Amino acid sequence: MKTSALIVLGLALIGVSNLAHAAGDAAAGKQKSATCTACHGADGNSTDPQYPRLAGQHASYLERALLDYQSGARKNPIMAAFAAPLSGTDIADLTAYFSSQTGLVTPVLPRLVPR
Amino acid sequence: MRKLMDFKILALCLGALSTASVSAAGDAAAGHAKAFACMGCHGVPSYTNVYPTYHVPKLGGQHAQYLVTALTEYKNGQRSHTTMHAQAASLSEQDIEDIAAYFEAAKD
Repeated sequence: MKTSALIVLGLALIGVSNLAHAAGDAAAGKQKSATCTACHGADGNSTDPQYPRLAGQHASYLERALLDYQSGARKNPIMAAFAAPLSGTDIADLTAYFSSQTGLVTPVLPRLVPR
Repeated sequence: MRKLMDFKILALCLGALSTASVSAAGDAAAGHAKAFACMGCHGVPSYTNVYPTYHVPKLGGQHAQYLVTALTEYKNGQRSHTTMHAQAASLSEQDIEDIAAYFEAAKD
């Protein structure tokens, strides 16, 4: 019993540490976001439906997207050019800013969770 | 004979309608049923991808047009992600349109 509790705690800590990216500064991110907002919207809710909404998106997902654009793992000529010059701090700040906005939600399956 | 003729005309009309709907916008209600598998990850608020670890993206309220592009790129292999490719590979264009319409309209 004790061992399994420790394993659960250990796994939980691994999970936390893996997601604990350098905490970004949302205010600094706002200062750096002028290029992004031209397509993704001033409040992260793009009006042109070909560009994804970023408002409220998980910071860790946005970070993965920017890192994949930098490495070429995710291919998009426009985003590759914008992501290329970003430092780790820039990415942390920008993703902190967009994730702090209001927009996207996680839909909950109505079949399982009564409203 | 007359009845058979009527039936044929009806069948032709229905055929024309269904062909037209392929290029039309997705059906969110149909997408709701088709999105059941998606919810196993995208319907769990704290769910994370493993290696690398990051939260799976929130899809509720996302633009349908962007979601169609994303799913089509996963299906074609232009965007690489093993799980998403496996999920998207079997989807028809209409399935993708319907699922995208569902998530665009979905609330928490």
